[in-house]
Amino acid sequence: MAAVNPSVFLLTVNGQIEGANFPEYDNLYCKYCYVFGHDWTPTSGLEEGITQITCKGSLSDKLIWNFPLETTFKSTSPSGWPQLVLSVYGPDVFGNDVVRGYGATHIPITPGKHSRTIPMFVPEPTWRLQRFTSWLLGRRPEYTDPKVVAQGEGRGVTRVRSQGFVTVSFNIMTKDMKKLGKSPLSTTVSEGGLSWRQRQEQQFGSEIVSGHM
Amino acid sequence: MAELHIIGQIIGASGFPQNSLFCKWGVHAGGAWRLLSGLKEGQTQVDNPQIGEMAYWSHPIDLHFTTKGLQGWPKIHLQVWHQDSYGRCQLLGYGYCHVPSSPGHHRVSCVTWRPVGTWQEQLAHAFVGGGPQLRSPDTIYSGADRYRLHTEAMGTVDLELGIITSRFDKFGVES
Repeated sequence: MAAVNPSVFLLTVNGQIEGANFPEYDNLYCKYCYVFGHDWTPTSGLEEGITQITCKGSLSDKLIWNFPLETTFKSTSPSGWPQLVLSVYGPDVFGNDVVRGYGATHIPITPGKHSRTIPMFVPEPTWRLQRFTSWLLGRRPEYTDPKVVAQGEGRGVTRVRSQGFVTVSFNIMTKDMKKLGKSPLSTTVSEGGLSWRQRQEQQFGSEIVSGHM
Repeated sequence: MAELHIIGQIIGASGFPQNSLFCKWGVHAGGAWRLLSGLKEGQTQVDNPQIGEMAYWSHPIDLHFTTKGLQGWPKIHLQVWHQDSYGRCQLLGYGYCHVPSSPGHHRVSCVTWRPVGTWQEQLAHAFVGGGPQLRSPDTIYSGADRYRLHTEAMGTVDLELGIITSRFDKFGVES
């Protein structure tokens, strides 16, 4: 299936943006995109997208999007591992579209099924007057580029307010990570020789083994 | 040479007496370790949570180390600060934790502490804030001279760290 000595490994993400929990806001939609280092390239699937607008159900306080994420990346090194960046928007009292939260999480590094609850935050104006005028005019502070949320530099002493959560579930597969010597899996060998996982990998020749044992 | 990737986030903090928190963090490793890529220190945003009492930072960490030995395994040290509405900052806690040594996903809860001064300093702290701080951040993660300190317990910082190791098994290391 693969070359004898591969130089790249693949990361396949199959998942969904399930929904959100924002106690104070309704009628929200979500934009997503991936941020990754320069060793990484997306090979298939969409790198960004927008969900539908959803509102809370009559029986529950949850907002559901059920939006599919299907992307594959290839890379030579785990540095710059992809992050999923989310921005949630909704209408304010006057009908303008304002940002309700930004958030980011790393794609899980181990194969298998994972669920992530991502806290969402908005940048805060520093002065109370600015807070009032921005509410009145419907122009809240926004990031010019939401990808800032995936970076570490330049965020010190920026004020934010966390006001909700988005739940995302992932099913991760990797290919040839082990052949390249990178292991996010424990390699301890049990008393009886190979572990169940290692026997499966020998038989099928790749890391496409689900995380369920 | 063996390699270590640390991919994760500083999620946030809870259990502190005030909200509106930010964190100054750094990673310290021994002499045998070399950082190939990534930032090894930084400062998170200031979060004032609207729901619940946990402050969320979601600060990404992506580090690539290479090493010739196991000594000096990387440690993450943290300083949690409070910023009030006037922009003044006050130290709330110091803490450190070792980077996990086994590959895979880990949820790490790092406990924190704050130095406590004399009774006069504690009285002043109750009224105007402030308080004693460490002269150098080395004491956060080293055991030397700790016996001189008198500290009180503060809240917890949550981190989610994914560890990818490379070629450790070739050197016979089991983790």
